[in-house]
Amino acid sequence: MASKMLTLLPPRPLRIAAAWVLALAITALIVAVLWAILAAAGDGAGNSRVDIAHLVRMTTIQAGLTTVLSLGVGMALAWALNRLRFPGRDLIVGLFAAAIVTPGMVVAFGLLSIWGRNGWINEASRALFGFSLGNPAFGLSGILLAHVILDGAFAARILLARLDAIPEPRLKVGQSLGLSAWKRFGLIDWPAMRGSLPGLGAIIFLLAFTSFPIVLLLGGGPANQTLEVAIYSAVRQDFDLVGAVRLAVTQIAVCSLVILLASAVPPVPTALGRSAQPRWQDGAIARSLQWLVLVIACIGFALPLVSVLIDGFGSGLLRVLGQATFWNAALTSLIIGVSSAVLTLILALTLSLGRAAIPGRGARTILGAPTFAYLAVPAVVLSLGFFLLVRQMGFAPGQAAPIVVVIANALLALPFAVATLGPPLDAVARTRGKLIRSLGLSGWQQFRRVEFPLLGKDIGLMLALAFCFSLGDLGVIALFGTQDFQTLPLMMFRALGAYRSNDAAAIAALLLVGTIIAFVGLPRIFERIAHAAR
Amino acid sequence: MIKSTSMALAVLFGLSAAPILAQDVPTLTIYTYDGFASEWGPGAKLSEGFEAICGGCKVNWIAADSSIGTLRRVQLEGDTTEADLIVGLDTAIAGEARATGLFADHGIDLSGLDLPGEWTDAQFVPFDYSHFAFVYDADVVANPPRSFEELIALPEDFKIVVQDPRSATPGLGLVLWIKAAYGDRAAEIWAGLKPHILTVTRDWSDSYSLFLDGEADMALSYTTSPAYHRIDENDDSIHAALFDEGHYPQIEVAGILKSSDQQELAKQFLAWFASAEGQKIIPTTNWMFPVVDLGDDLDPAFATLPQPEKTLTLSDEDIIANSSAWIDEMLAAVQ
Repeated sequence: MASKMLTLLPPRPLRIAAAWVLALAITALIVAVLWAILAAAGDGAGNSRVDIAHLVRMTTIQAGLTTVLSLGVGMALAWALNRLRFPGRDLIVGLFAAAIVTPGMVVAFGLLSIWGRNGWINEASRALFGFSLGNPAFGLSGILLAHVILDGAFAARILLARLDAIPEPRLKVGQSLGLSAWKRFGLIDWPAMRGSLPGLGAIIFLLAFTSFPIVLLLGGGPANQTLEVAIYSAVRQDFDLVGAVRLAVTQIAVCSLVILLASAVPPVPTALGRSAQPRWQDGAIARSLQWLVLVIACIGFALPLVSVLIDGFGSGLLRVLGQATFWNAALTSLIIGVSSAVLTLILALTLSLGRAAIPGRGARTILGAPTFAYLAVPAVVLSLGFFLLVRQMGFAPGQAAPIVVVIANALLALPFAVATLGPPLDAVARTRGKLIRSLGLSGWQQFRRVEFPLLGKDIGLMLALAFCFSLGDLGVIALFGTQDFQTLPLMMFRALGAYRSNDAAAIAALLLVGTIIAFVGLPRIFERIAHAAR
Repeated sequence: MIKSTSMALAVLFGLSAAPILAQDVPTLTIYTYDGFASEWGPGAKLSEGFEAICGGCKVNWIAADSSIGTLRRVQLEGDTTEADLIVGLDTAIAGEARATGLFADHGIDLSGLDLPGEWTDAQFVPFDYSHFAFVYDADVVANPPRSFEELIALPEDFKIVVQDPRSATPGLGLVLWIKAAYGDRAAEIWAGLKPHILTVTRDWSDSYSLFLDGEADMALSYTTSPAYHRIDENDDSIHAALFDEGHYPQIEVAGILKSSDQQELAKQFLAWFASAEGQKIIPTTNWMFPVVDLGDDLDPAFATLPQPEKTLTLSDEDIIANSSAWIDEMLAAVQ
C-alpha cells in the first residue's frame, strides 16, 4: 500500500518541512509552559491529596460515553440534514454548528431552561398531566446531555460537510442503480464520513475529558469530576504548582494515548467535488425517519439555544446595547476573533498540507499529535504557563495580552481546523496525486488550482470555527483581561458576578447570534471566493 | 480580505501599545477580582472619586478571575509585580496572604470602623462585609429553615446550591461556617446536607443563576443579596434565611504590597477608601455592608435587612492549619 502511495504523491519537501517545524514549535511551546510552571514552583513538595486513579476512571467513562453518543447522534443528524430541503435549513445548520463554540455555561443554562425543574418540558407536563418529571438535567445524565448537545451538533456539522461533498456523478450512478436508502448509506455515505470519525471522536473525547464548568455545574458535586477540577484546585486552593504539573502530565498522557490511537487510523480516501446538492429521493420510510431525527434534534439541540435567545432579548438587551463598554468589548472580540481565525488557517494549512504530502503512516501519526496537544493541556495550566512565559520574556502581561490571547485561541481551534481541512486534503493527495504529478504542477499551482477551489467551503467553515472559538473563549482571557481589555464573554462573566443576570443573558444571546451568522455566512462567502479563483 | 486583516492586526498591536503612553502621572495599579472591576462594580466609581482628590494620579485596575486569583498572581510575580495594592481578599485567606510576607503595614487608624467584632489587623484594611446566608424566594418557600438541622430535616426535594470551596470564596465560607458552628460534628452536618445539594458550582454567579431560574429553593449567598433585588429591581421577594446557630461573615480586605513604589499614594487610597466618602460607593455597587456607619447615606433598603444575632469566628491560625483538611472532610461527606 505504502509503495503504491509513493508513486501517487507528488514530492513536496517544502510542505513537509514546514509542517515538521510547526509541529516541533507547538511541542516546544507545551514543554515551555510546563517548565515555566515547574520553575515558578521552586522545590515545593507536591503533596497531592487526589485519588488520580479514581478520577481517571470516572472521567474516562464519562468521556467515552459522550464520544459514542455524540458520534452516533452526529451521523444520524448529518444524514437527515443532507437529504432534507426546507426553508430555514441554513439557519438550523448554523444553529447546530454554533453549539460547539458557545460558552459551556450558556448551553448549560439553556439546557436547564428546557429540562430543568421550572423548564419548558416540566411546565408543559404540569399543565397537561398535572405532574412534574423531576430534574433529569443533573448528575451523569445531565453532563452527558449537555456534552452531546455541544459535541453531537458539531459532529453533525462536520459530517454534513463530508456528505455534501460527495460528487454528483457518484450519486447519479447510485440513483440509476436504484439503491435503497440503507444501501446508499453503506455504499456512499459511510465511506464519505468514515475518514472523519477518528479525528472527530478524538476531539470529542478530549473535550469531554477536560470539560470543567459543565461537569461542575451539572454533575451535582464532587462525585462527578474531571482531572481538570483537581488541577484547578491544586493551582488555586493549595497553590501546589508541582502537584498541578504532575496532574497535568497525567492528563496529557491519557489524552495523548487517545490522540495517537485516533491519528494512527489511516484516513479513508474521500472523493471530493463541488458541493452540489442533487435531489436524492429516498423512500417514504427513510424520509419519515429523517424528519423524525430532525424534529428530535431540534427539540434536543435547538430549543436550549433558542431559549438562550429568548432570555437574552428581554429586558437587558437595550441597556447592554446602550453601553460604550459593550461596543468596546464587541470590537475587541471581533479583532481578536478575526486575527486568531487567520492565524489558525495558516497553522492548519501548514500542518494539513504537510501531512497530506507524507506517505508513511508513522510520520503522519507523529505529525498529527501536536495538533491536539493544546486540547490535552488543562486550560488553567496553559494560561498560567503562558502568563509566566510572558513575564520571563520581560513583558508585562497587560502589554502581551492581545497577542497571547490570539495565539492561545488559534492553538485551541487548531485540532478542529485540522479535522475540517485534513480529510479533504488527504483525499486530494490520494485521488488526484497522479494527475498533479503528471501535469508537473508546482506546490503553489497545486494549491491554487486544485486544493483551494475544492476547499473553499471547508476553509469558510474552519474560519467560522476558529473565529467563534475565540469569540467564546473565557479560559485564556480570564487571566489576561484588564479593565480596558475585555471581550464579550469576560463582560458576560463580570455581569453575572455583579448580579446582572439579565445583562449577562443579553450578551450570551448576542454572542450566539454572532456565532450563527459566522457559521451561515463564512462557508458561503468562501465557497464563492474559491470558485471565482478557479 | 488581506487589507482588512492587516488593519485588524494594526489595531491589535495598537491596543497593546496604548498603556505605555500614560506613564508620567503617578499610577496606582490595583489587582482585584472581575466583579469588582466590572462596569457595574465599584471600581470605576472609586477611580473617579479618588482621582478627584489625589492631585493628578491615575488608578489602574487589573482584574483577575477571582479574589484568590489576585493573590496567586502576586505570589507568582513576586517582587516584579506591577500591583501596588490588592483589593478584594477576604478574612478566610488573609492569614495565608499575610504568611507570604508580601504585604506591608498600612499604618492607618481604623478605630472608627463599624464591623462585627474589633479590627486590629496591621496589614489589611477591611472595606466591606456581609454574613454568608442562604437566600430564598418568599413566593416559593413559605417556611424557610431556621438552622442547618431544620434544613437537613426537610423533605429531600428541598434543594440548595452551594459553591466549590476549592474555587469560590463563599464555598470556602460555608465550610468555615459549618466548622465554626458545629466543630467535630461538621462531617455529620455535611452528610445530612448531601441529599439537599442539587449541585456544587465553581462560581458564586453560577449558583445564584440556578437559584434565580428556580432550579433550587435556596442558594448560598449573603445576607445583603436581597438589597440588590429591592433597590435595583424593586423586587421584595428575595430574603436571606437566618440560622439560630449564628452566621460566619465574609469581611473583604485590601492590602499594600511591600514591593510597591507608591507606598504613600497607596496608603492615601486605603485611608480614603475606608472613610465615609469612599465607603458610600460600596453598598449599591458591591452589594455588601460598608465598614463605617454611613448614617443617611446608606440606602434605607440595607437597614431593613434582617441581620444575624450571632457572628461566628475562627482564628487565622486555625484556618491556615486546617482549611485543607476541612475541605477534604466536606468533599468526602458529599461525594
